[in-house]
Amino acid sequence: MPEALLETRDLSRRFGALAAVDGVSLSFAEGRVHAVIGPNGAGKSTFLNLLSGELRATSGRVFFRGQELTRATPDRISRLGIARSYQSANVFAELSCGECVWLASHSRARTLVFPSARVAERARRALATCGLAERAGVRARQLSYGEQRQLEIGMILATDPQIFLLDEPLAGLGHDEAQRIVALLQELARRHTIVLVEHDMDAVFSIADTITVLVDGRVLESGAPDFIRQSERVREAYLGSDAP
Amino acid sequence: MISSRARLFLALGALALAAVPASGDRFWMQFLGKAMIGGIFAMSLDLLVGFAGLVSLAHAAFFGLGAYLLAGLSNRYQLAQMALTLPICMAGAAAGALIIGWLSLRAAGVYFIMVTLAFTQMLYYFLNDAPWFGGSDGLYVALRPLSNPIAAYYAIWIALVAVFAFLLLLLRSPFGRVLIGIRGNEQRMRSLGFPTRQYLLAAFVLAGSLAGLAGYLDANLYGFVNPALFGWRESGLVLMTVLLGGKGTLHGPALGALLLALLQQQGERLTEHWTAIIGAVVIAVVLFLPRGVAGLLEARRA
Ligand SMILES: Nc1ncnc2c1ncn2[C@@H]1O[C@H](COP(=O)(O)OP(=O)(O)O)[C@@H](O)[C@H]1O
Ligand SMILES: [Mg+2]
Repeated sequence: MPEALLETRDLSRRFGALAAVDGVSLSFAEGRVHAVIGPNGAGKSTFLNLLSGELRATSGRVFFRGQELTRATPDRISRLGIARSYQSANVFAELSCGECVWLASHSRARTLVFPSARVAERARRALATCGLAERAGVRARQLSYGEQRQLEIGMILATDPQIFLLDEPLAGLGHDEAQRIVALLQELARRHTIVLVEHDMDAVFSIADTITVLVDGRVLESGAPDFIRQSERVREAYLGSDAP
Repeated sequence: MISSRARLFLALGALALAAVPASGDRFWMQFLGKAMIGGIFAMSLDLLVGFAGLVSLAHAAFFGLGAYLLAGLSNRYQLAQMALTLPICMAGAAAGALIIGWLSLRAAGVYFIMVTLAFTQMLYYFLNDAPWFGGSDGLYVALRPLSNPIAAYYAIWIALVAVFAFLLLLLRSPFGRVLIGIRGNEQRMRSLGFPTRQYLLAAFVLAGSLAGLAGYLDANLYGFVNPALFGWRESGLVLMTVLLGGKGTLHGPALGALLLALLQQQGERLTEHWTAIIGAVVIAVVLFLPRGVAGLLEARRA
């Protein structure tokens, strides 16, 4: 087993009577792509929100490199190297693509007053990697939806993270746009740790090293893609008969 | 950013203002001095409203603190030298902004507005009832740092130009760009790793100290302070100035202050209900000039 970069122990979050995340213990290994799948309302986004500090856990704990993060604020979690993308594009609509990645990159800088060349260089590289180098001057809200999703990945790339938490990066995209993002994810996967929440099973089975199936806030099954593909329980609860 | 047409207009305007004392007209020097102080005050609020996205109704409190501190230093301690009193007054206003901002920024949105309003009212009633500060009668500034009207006028002019240049540079710096990011999407900025509350607090304190500078110049110009400086009316008026001038433009609020001063002066001569005239102008600007007076200076969109 490679070392666990990020780990949850018995993590739960209730909304009133609803247990959206219910006793989840998972460990995300360094350098791997770990997909979290499950039907709508299974608690996948809530789970990511607990990891990124945007929601407080009702009980349970989160560890990053052995350090407890359960009550840490989103900005501190981000500065530790845990980056988050959202289910619907969450960029700075009024800023240009270049400014969006510059801001993300600047979040790692120590300077307040003087612009730093390193920040600009990191931003430029992130924009190139996400495939928007030519769109640097275009306002984010003028991008197509697919490009906005690319920009979002560019932004978190510019924060130079150790682990990516991606919430349905392919949601709402057409075939070609989705292909572009999948290629981008495959590129990222070579050097980064990724927690991937995604509905597109072709993409999940082609990228993931490990898959966890979440249903009603609980872990139904967790294991290698082949194991998940063959699991009777997963077929019944989620994948149905058309699993790839 | 500012169009070349607006830049030319602003440069000419600043030069014209610098030439006014040559006319020797005391009335216009006093009048434009007051209007320029209003411009400094409004630009400092624009940092919050237009750039950081914070609508504060506490801004008059920091203006009032700058003014009252000067009156207090001069009355109680016979201190007037500008090199001494100006830093103390601005630091005092900044300290007030640190306390009020730290507490208010725990609330968001409309609650933030309410909390800042509540603090301003608290200070107003406190000063109204505190005999040491002159109570509702206020205080005279016994010794003015700049009692020569020409010196006072140029001090205000220099402060106006310096505050404008300072804020312009600040907003182009990484700090300013972070503020603009927070205005656009605070939640995203936080999840990118920015401690957004700390940035907003820094902006609040900076804006407060510049409002204190405006208050200091005001107390020097008039030689008198009273609790009305702290009223919610003053906070509302400066907010209106920012909107009238065009928030998020910096020069717009300064122009708005000049325009409001002119409206008030002309309005007062016509009718005692001059506030109604101002109200009508504000409504017209909001409805027909969404980018404020500053929008008039920009090239029309094709
Ligand atoms: N802020 C919230 N308040 C109340 N209920 C919520 C909230 N967020 C999510 N839920 C509920 O929690 C469950 C899990 O939601 P979510 O994590 O968004 O699921 P998924 O991302 O797997 O589709 C759903 O039933 C949803 O309605
Ligand atoms: Mg979801």
